[in-house]
Amino acid sequence: MSDSLGAFRNAARESIGVPSMVLAAGYLGFGALASGSGFPLWAALLSSATIFALPGQLAMLEMSIAGTVPTAIVITVGLTAARFLPMTVALMPVVRAGQRPAWQLYLAAQLLAMTGWAASMRRFPDVAPAHRFAWFIGFALTNWMACLAATGAGFALADSMPPLVRQGLVFVGPLYFLLILTGETRTRQGIIALACGAVIGPLVHLVSPQWSVMLGGLVGGTLAWAWARRSARG
Amino acid sequence: MAEVLRESVSPAHLGLLVLACGLATYLWRGLGVMLSGKVSADGEFFTWAGCVAYAMIAGLTVRILLLPTGTLSTTPLWARLLACALALVLYFILRRNLFVGIATGFIALVVAVSVT
Repeated sequence: MSDSLGAFRNAARESIGVPSMVLAAGYLGFGALASGSGFPLWAALLSSATIFALPGQLAMLEMSIAGTVPTAIVITVGLTAARFLPMTVALMPVVRAGQRPAWQLYLAAQLLAMTGWAASMRRFPDVAPAHRFAWFIGFALTNWMACLAATGAGFALADSMPPLVRQGLVFVGPLYFLLILTGETRTRQGIIALACGAVIGPLVHLVSPQWSVMLGGLVGGTLAWAWARRSARG
Repeated sequence: MAEVLRESVSPAHLGLLVLACGLATYLWRGLGVMLSGKVSADGEFFTWAGCVAYAMIAGLTVRILLLPTGTLSTTPLWARLLACALALVLYFILRRNLFVGIATGFIALVVAVSVT
């Protein structure tokens, strides 16, 4: 078990650096936006703890300020989170190698964010299967706490933050995804899937903004999967 | 920012809304754990799910950068594209240095928007 603890520590240390800082930058922006739009601190913190997905939180904030009906807000936030389904499906079989009790996996799923997912998919080949769960928790829990702290800090600093800086911080989230996706995707099918999704996602958005994440991902991902399979065979 | 949450929204309603959004997000996470129990790590379904995950994230990322809603929509497209391009170039030149890449993009966007 001491090795699991070691994996936990290594992952937490790795996460405290750039990954948590960059993730936290996005949440600083979110906290500042919340404060600037009359959203109470407790609600901002609650959303970071329970939703823990920046695109969904930004959508919730913007729509509730615009006075959208709650049902529509919940549906939209739910749809932007569809990415967590395939991400969890892809991660769990690799993580569960030690056959964990189910409740641990269900708790771990709450900590899953793009950052921890990408880092895990990249690192797991070098981590012994028995210690991968500890590694993931160490990394993701650090991310989660950093985001809570950053939400509070952004809220507190909002008044001394020019709107331009706030915009810059909100921009950091998607920019971070852009860099790690282009720089860290190693598998062939992963690269094809990125390209397909990058083209199809925005196109679907022009037709159906609400369903774009889900439809774009399904169409682009399936296309990439079929393409990679065919070219691997022949 | 001109728009503010209306005073008429009670704390109880707001709390319920946030929790409902959290639940809507968790449904996908929980469903993923449930389905993953029936999937082996080298199966075709697993590979397909990975492809769909990558495509969803790529689509969402490019959509936010090209067609943003909310606060980013007031920044000009050329400023966002320029910031992305500079960030990518420095990131790759400096052997995938994330910190420099992100900092470059942030500064480039802020500078580009402030001179417009």
